[in-house]
Amino acid sequence: MSLRRGAGLALAGLPLLFLGFAFFLPLANVFLLGLREDGQWTLGYVRAVLAHPYVRHLLSFTALQAFLSTLLSFAFGFPFGWFLTRYGFPGKTVVRALTLAPFVLPPITVALGFYLFFGHTGYLNDVLRAIFGLKEPPLKILYSLWGVVLAHAFYNAPVFARFVHAAWAGLDPTWEEVGATLGVRRWRAFLSLTLPLLLPAIFSAAALVFVLCFLSFAIPLSLGGAQYATLEVGVYLYARVYLDFPRAATLGLVEFLLTLALTYFYVRGGGLFGGRQERIRPRASIPFLSRPAHLLWFPWLFLTLLVFAGPIAAVVADSLSRPLGGKAPGLGWYTLIFSPEQNPFIGTSPLGSIRTSLEVAGLAMALALFLGLATSGTLRLLRSRLLEALLMAPIAVSSVVLGLALLISLRGRPFAWLGEKGSLVLAHSLIFYPFVVRIVRPIWEGLPPSFVEAARTLGARRLRAFLTVELPLLFRPVLVAGAFVLALSLGEMTAAATLAQRDLVTVPLAIYRFLSARRFGAASAMATLLVLLTVGAVALWEWLGERTLHGHG
Amino acid sequence: MKKLLFVLVAATAGLAVARELVVYTYDSFVAWGPAKVIEEKFEAMFPGVDLIWVAVGDSSEMLSRLIAELKLGLRTADVFLGLADVELPRALAHGVFQPYAPEKIPNLADVSEELLFDKTGHVLPYDHGYVTFVYDAELLPEELVPRSLDDLLRPELRGKIVVEDPRTSSPGLSFLLWTIAHYGEGWPNFWRKLLPNLLVITKGWSEAYDLFLAGEVPIVLSYSTDTAYSYIEHGSLRYRVITPDGEAFRQIEGMGIVRGTKEVELAHAFLNLVLSVEVQELMPLTQWMFPVNRRAKLPAGYEYAVIPERPVSLELNLIGEKLEEWLSLWEGLLLGG
Repeated sequence: MSLRRGAGLALAGLPLLFLGFAFFLPLANVFLLGLREDGQWTLGYVRAVLAHPYVRHLLSFTALQAFLSTLLSFAFGFPFGWFLTRYGFPGKTVVRALTLAPFVLPPITVALGFYLFFGHTGYLNDVLRAIFGLKEPPLKILYSLWGVVLAHAFYNAPVFARFVHAAWAGLDPTWEEVGATLGVRRWRAFLSLTLPLLLPAIFSAAALVFVLCFLSFAIPLSLGGAQYATLEVGVYLYARVYLDFPRAATLGLVEFLLTLALTYFYVRGGGLFGGRQERIRPRASIPFLSRPAHLLWFPWLFLTLLVFAGPIAAVVADSLSRPLGGKAPGLGWYTLIFSPEQNPFIGTSPLGSIRTSLEVAGLAMALALFLGLATSGTLRLLRSRLLEALLMAPIAVSSVVLGLALLISLRGRPFAWLGEKGSLVLAHSLIFYPFVVRIVRPIWEGLPPSFVEAARTLGARRLRAFLTVELPLLFRPVLVAGAFVLALSLGEMTAAATLAQRDLVTVPLAIYRFLSARRFGAASAMATLLVLLTVGAVALWEWLGERTLHGHG
Repeated sequence: MKKLLFVLVAATAGLAVARELVVYTYDSFVAWGPAKVIEEKFEAMFPGVDLIWVAVGDSSEMLSRLIAELKLGLRTADVFLGLADVELPRALAHGVFQPYAPEKIPNLADVSEELLFDKTGHVLPYDHGYVTFVYDAELLPEELVPRSLDDLLRPELRGKIVVEDPRTSSPGLSFLLWTIAHYGEGWPNFWRKLLPNLLVITKGWSEAYDLFLAGEVPIVLSYSTDTAYSYIEHGSLRYRVITPDGEAFRQIEGMGIVRGTKEVELAHAFLNLVLSVEVQELMPLTQWMFPVNRRAKLPAGYEYAVIPERPVSLELNLIGEKLEEWLSLWEGLLLGG
């Protein structure tokens, strides 16, 4: 038995070895820059950085805004996950895919969407002023802490919505039904039966969202104002302005240790509440609006629509209204980005960049799913919470540090043969596999052990037992995880900018090129295409998945 | 392996072995198109040579990437184009560039002497421009248009100005340096009073200009060629350049040969080409900057591009020495210090 477990561990350990070699070793090399000087170990940089009063200010603000942003993301995301689980309505696949749209938008486009929609002269204030006959803009959300928090919720509420949805859809509804027959009030049944089983997924999402907000950079500056800057500004300042890599690495290390400590706390917290289910029975959704009480959802749906669809719609409107050569453009910006001779030299045609982005995202998704599942499986065997937190590292490092680590790792010898596109695929799978782990792990833990044990008593080997028994039960979370990686890869910038040499132009890079050439309308048109592309790809992936799932019975 | 295959294919096709010249630059240089013209001309001059542009970020991103690559011993760029003059001391300290040989760059003779900002002979200028304020004539009443830096402090302009962050943006840094040059030791006082008038301090120029075009603010920190731009591109004079106190901060952009390149001759030929009259005449309408070649003519519509009476600049070595101190002081001001 222990021999078999050892063999299983060795097999599962291979992906870990690969992660160590391709990512953690180069990362350690970057951090060493901040810990060594002239061949000697030193804590001098760490002390100097931590003693800096401005760094301390950054630290407290960064933690505060990340905390508030996580709360607001939860407030928006959890009810939406509930809504998606409980109700069926036409176009649900597309709506679900749309929730991932914010993920792919570059911060610069989100800032534009927020200016145009929530700004003092934005659409929302214009409408409110017209309705109430006011002179001053009634809603002053932007250019304050709340602008930052709202924009972070815009980005991250989908994480809560999809994580909760994935976990909830897999919960056995029997207890809730029994409770209902016994006359237990609905909200009591929810609090005592459902919520505890959802807590691992909620903690998992919270860990991710907190880390993502902690490392945010452009949004706090551009929507909050310079008095609201995050630690990333410090890393940027050291690395890009002072060209002082040791101090940049030191601050990056401090950031990394903090996010990791918090991740560890969350992982533990999630583990405390993790319960196991005894069996699984699919949950039926109720048609939305089949009861008058459903109307109570409307105010909330309206608010959600305002916050999430508003800024995106503003960017779409911008792509259709930004003057082109002094005239109203109609579809002019779209024609421009697709016409070869008019097309500013973005290094490739827009269609070429779309193809590149899709290829990279598709391959990265496959690889990240493999890495994520293998890692989750290993963690299931090892049960080390410290290792679990540590394996989140790729999303817990500053983008400047990440860029340096990828430069060391993927531009160096062992991976040089991969070429630009291959190395970007690898990079994306290395950065995004933690999402797979975070979605799959809590649900895998919650699976009834009896199935696998039964299968193994019947003589199925570990791998076969996994493939035939557990994987089908994990199908839905794997589907969601794939969708996340797809969207994240389509919108990723740091690795693309680090690894691109000559031909590699992804859609977000093309957006930046249009912006830098003052072609704001073309940038908005390209961002609109990116949203459509993402929603299309995610909807197709989930639709195919659902079909396969129902094929399974 | 891929390279070997390529060489084999090239040899069988009867071609000379391909030589490459890799140039790092910032994305707008490629996006606006001068890169394409330069590439065509260069490859016509040197058949069999492939000119490769790598442009995946702004100037400071590309520079820090180049330095990291050089430290790792990766073979990267042969030429770097797009060094902001204020970055020179730090770039030289990292040994990014090797000196150029003036006799190999005949077009250097036409470059104005006062623009040769690198006295050590490593980096050459290829364009220059002026950072200053631009206002929206439809939103800002004439009497509120600032005519001096002090005018920016008027209480009527509360929340009506947007500037870029000096830590993350090149015009933002230019403005900070401008106030230091203008007010001397008193610059922190100016900033203390200015802060309430700033709606927000954005990460980069694009966000600031987005805010300005969306009508959120009537005054933005931008470039002195903006009126020429909106006139030439949109036939509009709505956005107007101001030069407070007759001043604006001068930016010179430079290029240099990366240390350790094997293509020294090609690199010199490239620098010479960028300084030629025909390439220099592309700068006004693509980079919206002024050419450095005295013989290059300015296009129609550039009568709206402003060269200030008193261009402001600071001694580069002083910037190199004091920048960190100034930025920390500035950060302190944000916290109310």
